[in-house]
Amino acid sequence: MKNMSDKSFLSALARKRIGKFLTHFTLIIITIFALFPILTTLLISFKEQADITRNPPVIFPCDTETDDFDPSACRWVVQGYERVLAPKPSETSITGIEFTGNMVRTYLPNTILYATVASLLVVLLAGTSGYAFSRYKFRGNKAIMSGILAITGVPLLTNVLALYQMGVKIRKSALPFDDRFFIIFVYVGFFLPLSVWIAKGFFDAIPKELEEAALIDGCTPFGALMRVVMPLAAPGLGAVFLLTFVNVWNEFIAGYLLITKNENKTAMFGIYDFISVNLINLQVVAAVCILIALPIVVLFLFTRRTFLSAMVDGAVKG
Amino acid sequence: MQKLLTRWKNSNWARNSFPFWLILPTIITLLIVQVYPAFYTVWLSFQERSPDGWEFVGTKNFERLFAMSIFDESIGHTIVYLVGYVGLTLIVGFFIAFLLSQKIKFSGVYITLLFIPWVIAQIIVGLVFRLLIVPNYGLLTGFFGNPQLFPPDGLSVLTAVRPAPWFGDFPFPPSPAMIFLIIASTWRALPFVMLLLLAAIQTIPTQVIESSRIDGANALQRIRYIMLPLIMPTLVVAIFSLTLSGINGVGMVFSLTGGGPGTNTQVLSYLLYTIGWGQLKFGRAAALALLMAAINWVLITGTMRITKTGTGEE
Repeated sequence: MKNMSDKSFLSALARKRIGKFLTHFTLIIITIFALFPILTTLLISFKEQADITRNPPVIFPCDTETDDFDPSACRWVVQGYERVLAPKPSETSITGIEFTGNMVRTYLPNTILYATVASLLVVLLAGTSGYAFSRYKFRGNKAIMSGILAITGVPLLTNVLALYQMGVKIRKSALPFDDRFFIIFVYVGFFLPLSVWIAKGFFDAIPKELEEAALIDGCTPFGALMRVVMPLAAPGLGAVFLLTFVNVWNEFIAGYLLITKNENKTAMFGIYDFISVNLINLQVVAAVCILIALPIVVLFLFTRRTFLSAMVDGAVKG
Repeated sequence: MQKLLTRWKNSNWARNSFPFWLILPTIITLLIVQVYPAFYTVWLSFQERSPDGWEFVGTKNFERLFAMSIFDESIGHTIVYLVGYVGLTLIVGFFIAFLLSQKIKFSGVYITLLFIPWVIAQIIVGLVFRLLIVPNYGLLTGFFGNPQLFPPDGLSVLTAVRPAPWFGDFPFPPSPAMIFLIIASTWRALPFVMLLLLAAIQTIPTQVIESSRIDGANALQRIRYIMLPLIMPTLVVAIFSLTLSGINGVGMVFSLTGGGPGTNTQVLSYLLYTIGWGQLKFGRAAALALLMAAINWVLITGTMRITKTGTGEE
């Protein structure tokens, strides 16, 4: 009797183990599939032109006449990156080289500027209004909040048409107009609604008693907000910043259509522009993809916890 | 002066109007960037460009839009794209979420690695997939070009036109480029759905699953009768947000197919771009934008209803 129960216990354990093994096995296969396009792009970006234009193509440029794969014979080059960055010797720069490619000189700094400024503004506006919606019962609170939720889903695409015409009009008028202010303002308005919802959720989780204590101790409402609530809400607002930053960085259509001056265009436009010129030089296209995607992937890897929790919150509410 | 300031600070009005000042900048921004353009689009859809400004043309823009043969075709492409993209993403996303919900080691590592595609821009995703199938030199070009696998003489994904349609003019079966576009879009949207469904599955109390296991339900029955009904609200949210992103996402079409071959991947969002900025017919494009906004609006209010009643909140 005892033996029997031992046996069934063992087999249950064994079945569990096999199940776990199968789960891991499937997940590893899925992960490889998910990363395959990224990895091949990474490999392409380090190939030389002669290996790019081979037919049939090779995954690793490591074959010799005698051997299919010889690690010592790998022909890795940075040709693609050179074409994107266009380094030139320079006397003024500290490193002795200056990058003259449009991507690094113009488009990428623009994207960094727009993403940073827009995200900071979104944090400020979503922080203050999310706090108001979370703490105060004023007339129209619910109605305005639902209105903002409804706006969340209005896509940039259908509004871009009108925004474009607005841009044309302002440009014709005597008003001082700058592409950069316009696009930052558009990005703020576009990514704000979802952020307000996420921020409100974070404020809801902070106990109200803390500020009441501060108010009793003589703090102004604004002082209580700045000194007591904001530090506690900092992780949540950080998540809002991250999410907006990534969204602005990756946004294409508004940047492409609403910015007229070439010197103000974004990295995504730069990439699109590259296709028309360089589609035959796959290593250049791959290099530019890696260069622009890498900062965001690294940012995500370092902040994944904050990022993922904000994603779930935002999706369930918005 | 100091006295006045303290008096103002302590006055009822200052305290009561505080929340108003907090939300005012947000409201102004949204009015300018979101609400005003929405009304402007409505106005624009009844106008036509004339030498001296805009001219009111009534519903002509809509009539002309409906008369375009590419409009009907685009609707067909959009439906094919949406069904493929939403369906594929949901099925695969649920499968991965289910695997991750088993109590296994390293699930954090899997989630992190699997999530990477989502942070990559649509334009870049389109290019990355395009690199795989560029004529002659792409890694998968040879695979698709193999006559034994794809008779009669192999397949060139980006240039092959779609087969003769089965149902009248409806663009089904789709062109290889459309299928590839769906796969690329799915690849990027998967992490989002996976995460959403995983979060929903994890809220199911373990006792519920355990007791059904004790009652003798097998894995498939547990999924069908316990899991799916319990995560239904999240599933609906996922369907709606995928549909929204599918209707409005245009970046991938730009960099992967450019609407082609011919008009084979010309979905509504790309059509909006071609009518507006390709043909410079802004009135007609506004009419199309209005239609798309209406679809969006229906989907959003639908989601709001379901999330409110489905989760029992408010």
